This record gives sequence, structure tokens and C-alpha cells, in this order.
Amino acid sequence: MKRAPYSHAPEASGKNHWRSLGELHGAEAFAGAAAREFPEGASEGPSALGRRRFISLMGASLALGGLVGCRRPEETIVPYTRAPEEVIPGKPLYFATALPLLGTAFGLIVESHEGRPTKIEGNPRHPESQGATSAFLQASVLDLYDPDRSDSPRQGAEKRTWNDATALLRKVGEEAKAKSGRGLAILTEAHRSPTLASLLTELGKALPEARIVRYEPFGRDEAREGARVAFGRPLETVLDLARAKVIVTLDADLLAVSGSPLKQARGFAAGRDIETLGTAGMNRLYAVESAFSITGAAADHRLRLASRLTPRLALALTRELSKHGVDFGELGPALASTAGLDERAERMVKAIAADLAAHRGEGLVVAGRGQPASVHAVVHALNLALGNVGKTVRHVAAFDEAPSGPAKVVELAAAMRAGEVDTLVILGGNPAYDAPADSQFADALGKVKLSIHLATHRDDTGARATWHLNRAHALESWSDVRAEDGTASIIQPLIAPIFGGRTEHEVVDLLLGRGRKAYELVRATWQGASSALDFDKGFRRALHDGLWAESASPSEEVRSRFGDIARAVRALPAAAEGVEITFHPDPHVYDGRFANNGWLQELPCSMHKLTWGNAAAISPSMAKEHGIEDGDIVTLAAAGAEIRIPVLVAPGQAEGSIALTVGYGRRHVGRVGTGVGTDVHPLRASGAFNIVTGVILKKTGEHTTLARTQEHFTMEGRNVAREGTAEEFAKHPKFAKEGPEHPPLLSLWKERSYEGQAWGLNIDLNTCIGCNACVTACQAENNIPIVGAEGVADSREMHWMRIDRYFTGNEATEPATIAQPMLCSHCENAPCEQVCPVGATTHSPEGLNDMAYNRCIGTKYCANNCPFKVRRFNFLDYTSGIAEIGKMQINPDVTVRSRGVMEKCTFCVQRINHAKIDAKKAGQDHVKDGAIVTACQQACPTQAIRFGDLNDRSSKVARRLESPRMYRLLEELNIKPRVSYLARIKNLNPALEGA
Amino acid sequence: MSTLTYPQEDPAVRPELLPGSRDFRGITRQVAGIVEAKTPGPWKLALAFTVSVLMILFGSLVRLVWKGTGIWGLNNTISWAWDITGFVFWVGIGHAGTLISAILFLFRQKWRTSINRAAEAMTIFAVMSAAIYPVFHIGRVWFAYWLFPLPNQMQVWPNFKSPLFWDVCAISTYATVSLLFWFIGLVPDLATLRDRADTRTKQIVYGILALGWRGSHRHWLNYEKAYQIFAGLSTPLVLSVHTIVSFDFAVSVVPGWHTTIFPPYFVAGAVFSGFAMVVTLMVMARKFLGLENLITLHHLENMNKIILATGSIVGYAYGVEFFTAWYSGNPYEKFVFLNRAFGPYSWAYWTMVSCNVIFPQLFWFRKVRTSIPLMFAISIIVNIGMWFERFVIVVTSLHRDYLPSSWSYFKPSVFDISTFVGSFGLFFTMLLLFIRYLPMVAIGEVKSILPAADPHAAHDHEEARHAT
Repeated sequence: MKRAPYSHAPEASGKNHWRSLGELHGAEAFAGAAAREFPEGASEGPSALGRRRFISLMGASLALGGLVGCRRPEETIVPYTRAPEEVIPGKPLYFATALPLLGTAFGLIVESHEGRPTKIEGNPRHPESQGATSAFLQASVLDLYDPDRSDSPRQGAEKRTWNDATALLRKVGEEAKAKSGRGLAILTEAHRSPTLASLLTELGKALPEARIVRYEPFGRDEAREGARVAFGRPLETVLDLARAKVIVTLDADLLAVSGSPLKQARGFAAGRDIETLGTAGMNRLYAVESAFSITGAAADHRLRLASRLTPRLALALTRELSKHGVDFGELGPALASTAGLDERAERMVKAIAADLAAHRGEGLVVAGRGQPASVHAVVHALNLALGNVGKTVRHVAAFDEAPSGPAKVVELAAAMRAGEVDTLVILGGNPAYDAPADSQFADALGKVKLSIHLATHRDDTGARATWHLNRAHALESWSDVRAEDGTASIIQPLIAPIFGGRTEHEVVDLLLGRGRKAYELVRATWQGASSALDFDKGFRRALHDGLWAESASPSEEVRSRFGDIARAVRALPAAAEGVEITFHPDPHVYDGRFANNGWLQELPCSMHKLTWGNAAAISPSMAKEHGIEDGDIVTLAAAGAEIRIPVLVAPGQAEGSIALTVGYGRRHVGRVGTGVGTDVHPLRASGAFNIVTGVILKKTGEHTTLARTQEHFTMEGRNVAREGTAEEFAKHPKFAKEGPEHPPLLSLWKERSYEGQAWGLNIDLNTCIGCNACVTACQAENNIPIVGAEGVADSREMHWMRIDRYFTGNEATEPATIAQPMLCSHCENAPCEQVCPVGATTHSPEGLNDMAYNRCIGTKYCANNCPFKVRRFNFLDYTSGIAEIGKMQINPDVTVRSRGVMEKCTFCVQRINHAKIDAKKAGQDHVKDGAIVTACQQACPTQAIRFGDLNDRSSKVARRLESPRMYRLLEELNIKPRVSYLARIKNLNPALEGA
Repeated sequence: MSTLTYPQEDPAVRPELLPGSRDFRGITRQVAGIVEAKTPGPWKLALAFTVSVLMILFGSLVRLVWKGTGIWGLNNTISWAWDITGFVFWVGIGHAGTLISAILFLFRQKWRTSINRAAEAMTIFAVMSAAIYPVFHIGRVWFAYWLFPLPNQMQVWPNFKSPLFWDVCAISTYATVSLLFWFIGLVPDLATLRDRADTRTKQIVYGILALGWRGSHRHWLNYEKAYQIFAGLSTPLVLSVHTIVSFDFAVSVVPGWHTTIFPPYFVAGAVFSGFAMVVTLMVMARKFLGLENLITLHHLENMNKIILATGSIVGYAYGVEFFTAWYSGNPYEKFVFLNRAFGPYSWAYWTMVSCNVIFPQLFWFRKVRTSIPLMFAISIIVNIGMWFERFVIVVTSLHRDYLPSSWSYFKPSVFDISTFVGSFGLFFTMLLLFIRYLPMVAIGEVKSILPAADPHAAHDHEEARHAT
């Protein structure tokens, strides 16, 4: 009885469970009772120790003394007196919920162990996730247990209680009412919660003069505005890549952050299924972009083009299409004046136009969120004119037509400075950090008498606001959300708020003078929307399924207004000369919100394998011109502002274009994110929010080390990640099987045979987009520690799964690239097993290469002898530093490894064993195909990973092995890997031969 | 006898082995005198220095056990670097001692008698220094005993297929045999020290160590037999130990390690480096302890000849590796060797080649072979080169193996350096203690090669009758 259960480190002393209302309300009598396990009198004997009692105690002591030899921690065990329904210790439960992100929402299934959510998976029923997840989604569970989360409301630096905060909010509401809202401003994120929307509408009605502003650093305004120009209404665009044969992206990273990436990636992969579709039926992806994205990497043809020149290309494409007989009405004459592109781009445009014209109704053109509205308008018109709308593209009503771009925040900040705002309520977001530079929001915030900021952390904004309110994490709050296509989900809590936070709904409700719980608010919203009779049933159904059935918005009928588009096109300023900067959401921290998330910080970015920080990506020729190398620190100056940032020489970066990622360099973060990366916001003003031109780059002569997990990006002529063209594949389907010549493969030992089930894994490089979801899923599932920037710089990252990136072609001009996920191959003749002196790594009868952590003494010989270098060694103690609360995320099915032992991919052996136990209980002698899903496989948005029984001819993985594209790595070593690959096939346009 | 001129050789007449010493009693006095003399000041200074360096080793190892092997510069790609380099380096050094005491003994190379004791001691201390690495380079030092086949209730045994286990057996056998061999050789001399002891403590300590030796004929008979048996046991060890050490590499799949040439190449390299170390130490010892009459220029020249021979073998091996890499047609193998010579570690490779192949070739010249300063410099260069050879083998093979995505570069941390430097502290501390407290020349054996001990030589030495 040393400690109270679930007690956290003092700095993280939030309550997560309460045992009675007494504890919840902090009753003193309860505090005494809680410190002891049993009620008064039950655990101690009477003070006088009689002879009999003495003897019996001594006897018991002797008997128990024998048990002292066993090492076990002295901790309170709290058994359930009455077990909650459905909780079986050791058996996880799964609940459906959703997470708003990227301007849409992803349906999730969350794994919960005895009340602790530990792992996030995609909800197969939800159209936006379709069972898959992204790295951001996987890692958001870690944010829940972030020890640096705020644990109470604060006035300045002083801690306050929610009672104080409630009184304050009520008072603010009353005072605002008296002035009908004058002087009150509410700043929200670009949320998609119907409940919050209706509460804010109510607030707007009650306080007509209050300002309600939406702001998102990476919103969807331009696309919506483009729709308003093109169709007269600000509509949301929903893409169906599965039905598209020709996909053209203009600066749009469709597979990572643009639109609804998981759904789009699944659709893209569906169109690459060469076994079903044949080479002729495969889709073709053209990517025009300035910075190399995973979409560009997945493309069949990629054009490097500075983002400021993309409008020209969009117009040139329209012009070419009109030559193919596509009618653009009044837009036609506006195209005549389009400025020229270089020869390469012109050639590409002609080929794309011909391809699109040949695939009317099966094409898809999309512009990125950073492109101006007029480009989006042109693209909308293109899709409509090509007959793609209603097939590959559909338009739905926008969730909220109010803009969420920088203009409104600048306006708000001006009002704040002018003293027009007495009270500012910021519901989420971090505007003091990420508002446009010209708004000088942080300064303006100081001018506001009362500013209230609701956020999970006391971040850059919270530290400046007069009041900070701690917000509940999405996994511990009731809410609702509509996805891009309108699909509605209820967000349900997996755990009571660990730090006692509340949601934005509750705050608004308090401003309205009420004080209902989020649960009541959410229920009320949906009660109003459905018939009362079957509401409870429907609500339960929605909670269970993770979405309201058939809640997706209907497609809107649209008609192009070519005149308006032509006017918008004419109004486009001529592309500026000189160097540009483009702003992108960071692949680690998104807009800065994940800055304290160690998994994401250490996740090697897809293209350059950079971790722990951001860098300015410049093209190799620009680097040569300025005489700079990777890690050299430069200054970037534009429009009177200047930043210092290290450089990353990025093959495939467009000439005259520098890519910056936003989200680093925050000042109030927490123990993980403090001091990491560079803040690029000084360059990001509302007038040039996505692209800044006229940039001056200067070398400083200083240098820093970039922590990258891969240093060498060429294959050195080794056929590691194999790819061919559709043409080659048609002529010579077995091209991928050609490895180096080798003598007959003989083994020194008697090779084993595998009679029962034999586990194997296959990765299709044709659909792998290198998005990193698998890497993070593996980290979450297998309790993989982080090692920090220094650890990564020392090449000691612990990821069991990594994605190798190779560039092919001439780096300086137009590199192509391929990604290859790499994990333990579970070789049947494993070189690691033979050399371990203590036999800590051995083979299971089902072909798994097992690690016995207990037996490992850490000679590291196995790692040296691993030809794939997938073994990871605990060089230092990486796990004991996990905060007490962080331990709640740990997957109880997987051992946490100590310092000095080797570890590596286990093929998720815990999941295999669960499936085997289930099969045994069900009386099956074999685990059925599909019953075991590895963490990486489950997360993969393109289903590139298949796992199963190789001895079962009908299993999905065994059928993949029959593909002519199947190959295994380093077969010449006779190691017989159980991981195999399917070669990538590029669907090149014959018209671009030699380009 | 540094003024000794090289004798004009008549092939029919063997030159006298120790022309400067003809006197049995003188030898006893000279050798035992080092031990019996009052502790010299320079020795104390030297010991203070080596113990300080030894403390660096202790400090580094304490930190290593406390924090983990992460304090070294190792990484996911290069899991062995200075640790295993240091291990092979020290084991290699030990080889000269065994070769001198065992193989040269069996070949009746009598000149060995002046240097075998010190060389054997060097072997033992080198093995001690080497043993630091396999023990401390592992992640969980406290389970190092799992490497031994200890019977246990769980019936868990080491993996008999693993070269590291073979290594454990080879090294522990080598250490045991070398220690016993050395000790057996010491027994008559320990008895001499016991008999000459001037304090009670010395009498007791040397008395116990001398195992009751009285110099009887039976004792000498048993001694000679035991010595011969141990020489016989040690001889295969000279070849087997480094062969097995080379198996750590040769049995793996790492290109640059997986090479059948390794066993002979490693043995030659070991003898090469070992003799270089013996030359370094003997040049110093004869100078500082005035043993020029016992360790003559002739000894040093003989050792330089061995350095020349083994250095040439090593150089040949370097060449053959390239040929094999090309001839095998194995693309990985080819790459590794080109990468060694022209990759990021080419500086290490060319350091190795120049130290090991080019400089020892100077020993073709008698002038170089017999010049004390030159041989001293070359012997140190050879040992630098041999350290680099192991570094090149261990690190340049690992840093760029099969998948280019994992390629990496090794930079030593301060603890890599301090551990290696510290291991010299251990070696030299032991060596200093040895020359202070034990006879560093085998008194009994040296006497046997004096003309006075030769029954067929002219008996013009009265002293011969008083032998031992």
C-alpha cells in the first residue's frame, strides 16, 4: 500500500478516475478513506497482541517470508468489487469515435485497455478513413497522455478552478448581453462540429454585435472561393480517385494533406491494381508541383514548376483542352493571352490535355490549397467541361461558408488594437503563434482587457491570454463532426478528462448563461435532427458504427459561370520573377499542434527523412549556385521580414522555389518540442499567405546537423526497390525476378520445413505511397521509444519499420523516386539467429524470427549480421524516462524493452497469438486468413501490406506471391526472407517518351 | 652492448647467442637484481603514470556500465567499432608471446630464451586487455556469464553455432594455457628469488609460488616434460585463437567479413603485430634495465626478420582480397573493397597499407634491421597499422553493407577513445608490476644457452660446474 493507484507525477496531477461523488467533489472524509485500501478497522488488528495472535502472525510471516524472494513491485492493486459490464482484464475493448483534422474528419476505432485508450485504428465503416489511418491520427493518442498538458484553468500564471472559470464565463456572457455583444469577439478554428455551429449561431442571435471569426492556418478557403467564382456558390469538392483514369494535380498533395488524403490514397491505389485492371486499365497520375511531395513521388509523370507559375500552367492546360474541342465559353478568349511556359512544361501540358480529352468523365484535375481561388475556379470549370463532375468529382454544400483564411484575423487584430474588443474568447487554435505576420496578433492580444483561451496546452497564445482554460482532448470529450462529404460522426470520450478539461461547446454554453455538459449539448443537437421516437436507438447506432448512416451530403448541381471565371483569370497578377517561398503544413507537427508529440517529431519525413525540425528545401542547382550544403544556415528575407533556417538540398525541388514547413519554432510547447525547429511565420503575411515572392537567400556561414534517418538516397546500382514501366511489364512480366547472378544456394545446416501455418508479409510497391502511417502505427502498437534528435543524428532511431527512399535519375534535373518499407524479413535462414552466442533470437515453428528479450545480453552481433539492418539496439535507457502518465499509453500486450537489449519487428506476434487463441477457442485448427492484421497493415491507407499464412494457397498473401511482380530481397544470400515485395509499375504516357 | 658490431658470418659456425654474457652467476645476479634492488624512482614515476591511465579505463567502464554502450559512437548500422577493433588488436599482440615460447621452443630456436619470459607476460597482459572488450561491449554486462556453458535448471545453453561462443572458448583456453605455461616456466626462477630473498614476506610469497622447487634432477625432469607438453598445447593455439577470432567475421554474411582468407591472414597479422610489440618493449627494457647483454641486437634482428616476413604475408593478403573480390563477381564484395580504398574511410585504409606493407619492407636492409631507433619507430608504426587494419575490417565493412539506405559513418565518442587509451594503462601497469616483482628474463633457460652449458663446447669456464 505504498501509493495511490494511478497517481501521476506532481506536475501532471490530474484526476482521471473517481471512485465516488465524494472524491469528485473533493470531500475531506473521502480523502482519508481513499488513502487506505480497506475501510476503517478492516485492515488492522486490535492493539493488544495476544499469544495466539502473535503465534499466528509469526507463522504467517514465515510463510510469506518465503515469497519475498520473488521480485514484485509493492503497489496497491485495486480489484473491481463489481466489475463493469464487458470489462475483462487483459481483453481490450474497441469504441468508435472520430477525429477532426485537415479540414475533414476521420472515423476511428480506438482500442481501450481497462479504460485506457492505447491505440487508434481507422473505422472501416467511415468513408474518410475506410479502416486506415495516417501518422497524425496514429500519434494523436500520445497527445492524450502528454504530461505537459494543462491541468487547470489559469488566470495569468495563477492556477484557478473550473468553478472560477465558470463564474467568469457566465459573467462575460451577461455583460455581453447587456451590450448585445459589442466588444466581444470569439475566435474559433475552422471546426466542423454541428453542435458548436448551432451554439455559435445561437450566440450570434443573442449577441448580434459580437464578432465570430474562424481561422485556420491551412484552410480550404481558396477551393471554396474558387467554387464561388466558378459556380456562384462556395461549395466543397469531394474527389473519387478510384473512378479516375487520368489524375492531374496542380500543387496538390492529394495523398498526404490535401482534401481527404486517406480516402484519396485508397482510391488512387484502387486504380493501380494491375492484376485486376491490366496495364491498360491502370490510372495515370500527373503531378505538377514545386516541392517534392509523396503525391509527386507516386506520380507517373512529375513536372517541377514553381508554385507561382502554376496558374499559367492551369491556363495553358485549358487552352490545350479547348483545342481538343472542349468548350469553355467566355473563358476561351481569356486564355489567348496566357504567358508561355518552358518547352518541357509545354510538352507535358499537351500530353496531359490529350490524355484528359481522351478520358472525359474519367479524368480529374485538382489544385492545391495554396493556389489562388482563380486557379481553383479554372480547375472547377475544367472538370465540369470534361464531364468529370458527378463522376470523379462531386460538389457538396460547404459546412460553413464563412471564410477561415488570414484576412479575417488581420481584421480582428486591427479591431483589438483599436480597442474595439474588450473580451476575446479563443476556442482552440494558437493564433498568437500561427496568425499571419501582418496581423501582429500576439501584440494585439496584449491590448485586449480580457482574453480567454481554451486549449489543451498553455501554449504561445495561452501564455499571453489573461485567462487560460484547459481543454479536453478529442479522445476524452463529447462532440460531433462532419467530414468533408458531410458524413456525421459522434465523437465519444474513451476516458474521463484526465486533466479535467472541458470542451468548446461547454464554454459557449456557459457564455450563453447555461452550463450544460457536452454530452447533453451533443444529444440535443441530434435530437433536434431526428424523430424523437427512435432517437435513442439511432444515437446508440451512431455511436456504435461511428457515423450517422446516410448522413453524407447530396451532390449539388453546378453550372459554370465562364464570364466570372474569365474575369478572375484576367485579374490574376502576372507571376513575379525571382525566388519564391511556398508554405506547407509540416509533416511532423502539422501546423504546430503536434509539436509536443515525440512520435511525430521523430517520424522521418517521407521525402527527405528529416526528423526533429524543419529546413528550407532548395533545389540542388540553387544550392550549388549559393555554395551551400545540407545543414548550412541561411537567412531568407522577404517583404521586410527575415528568418534564419538550415537548408536541406532537396532533389526534385523546383528551380527558384523554396519550400518551408510551418509549425516549428513555437516558444511555449513542452518538454518534447521546446527549442526544436524554426518559426517561419515572420515571412507569412496575409497578402502572401501561401506563396511569397521576391525572396532573398543569403548564406550565413554557420552550420548545423540535420537529424536524418537516411543519408544515402541512391541505390548504387543495386536492384533493391524494383520498378518498371507498364510497357516493360507487358513485354517481360517477370522483370522483377532478376536479381544478381549467384551459385546454387546450399545451406550448412539442415533447413527446416514448415508444416502448419507459415507467416509471411508482402508489400506492393505499386501502391505504397510512403506516407509513414505504418511506421507510426508500429510505434504505437509495439511501445517503441523515441531517442531524440541527438539519437537520430547518431543513427540510433528505434523504429522497427522504416521507409527507405531512393532517388533515381539525375538529381540535378528531374529525379524520380521510389519508397520501400523495410522491416524484419523473418528470414527462414536468418543470419542473426546463427550468430547470437546466447540463443536470444530463434525461430518459431511458424517461421517467426523471435526475440527473447530476457535472454538477450546485447552483443549486437545479430545487428551486424542482418543484411537489412532492421535490428534496433537499446544503446541507452530510452524507456524509464517516460512520464508516469505516458505509461498509460503503453500496450500491455507488448514488453517494454530495457537498456542493453536488441529488438525488432515481431510481425505483431501479440496479435498473432490473440488470433491463435481465438481460433483455438472457436475449435478451428488454423487461424483463418484475415484474422491476423499487423499494425502496419491495418494502418496502410492503400492496403499495400498483406499478412497471412503462406502455406494456405488461398490466402491473400499467398496469392500475391504468385504475381509475376513478386520478388524477395537479397535472395542470393539464401536467407529466404518471409517478407516479399511486388515491383512497382509506372504507367508512362507514350507521348512523353524520353521526357 | 649497444656498440656491438655485427659479426662476420661463417654459415658453418653459429654465432654465439649471448657473446656478452658468459657467467652463470652474473646472469642470476643481473636478472634477480632488478627485482631485489630498491624500488627505482623512474619506475615509481612510470607506475604512477600508467595507473593514472588505468584509472581512465576504470572511469570509462564505470560510466559504460552505468549508462550503456550508447556512450560509445556505435549506431544501428555500425554495432561494433573501436570495441572489437581493440579486442582483435590486443589478442593479436598476445600471439608473439605464445609463438616465441611454444613454437620457437619446439623448433629449438634457442635465441628465444632471452625474450620468451617477457613476451609470455606480454601475452597474458594483452589477453587481459583484450578481455575487457567482449565483456564490456555487451549491453547487459551483468549477464556476461551467460556466454559460458553453465549448467542451469532451465536447460538453457549457449548457441553452439555462434562464432562468438567459439571465441569465448578459444580465448579462455588461450588465457588459461598461456598463464599456466608462463607460470611453469617461472617456477625455477621463483625458487631462485625465494632462495635469495632478504625479507620474510618475500620468502613466504616467493616460497609459495615456487611450489617447493629444490632444483633436483627429478624436478628438472618433470619441469622439462611439463614445459614440452605445454609448448605442444600452445602451438596449435597460436594458430587456432586468431583463426577463431577471424571466424567472428568470416562466418557472417557481411561483405568484407565473409572471406575464407581470414584465418591465415589473421594469424599472420597477429604474429606481425605481436612481434612489433615485443620489439617495442624489448628495446625499451634492455635500455632502461641494462639488459643489452641478454637481449642482444641479434634477438632484435631476428624479430625484425619475422616482422618482415609476416608483414609481407599481410601485404599479400591485402592484394589477394582485391583479386578475390574482382574474381568472385560478387557485386557487394567488389563494392566493399573499392569503398575501402576510395570511400569515406580511404584515409584509414591507406594508413593501414602504408604502416603494414610499406614500412616493414625497410627491414630488407640490414642497416634498418639493426638500427635501434629505426626498428623502434617501425615497430610502433606496425602496431598503429595493425590497429587500423582491424578498424578497416570491422568498420568499413559494416558502414556500407547491402542496403544503401542504412549506410552510415562512425565517429568515435570520447569514451571510445578513453576506453582504448585506458586499456594501455592496464597493459603497462601489469607490465611494470611484472618487471618489478618477477624475473623478466628466464634465468634458468638463458643459462642453458651459454657456452658453459654446452657439453660439447670447450670447458674453459670454471663456473660451469656451479651451474644453478
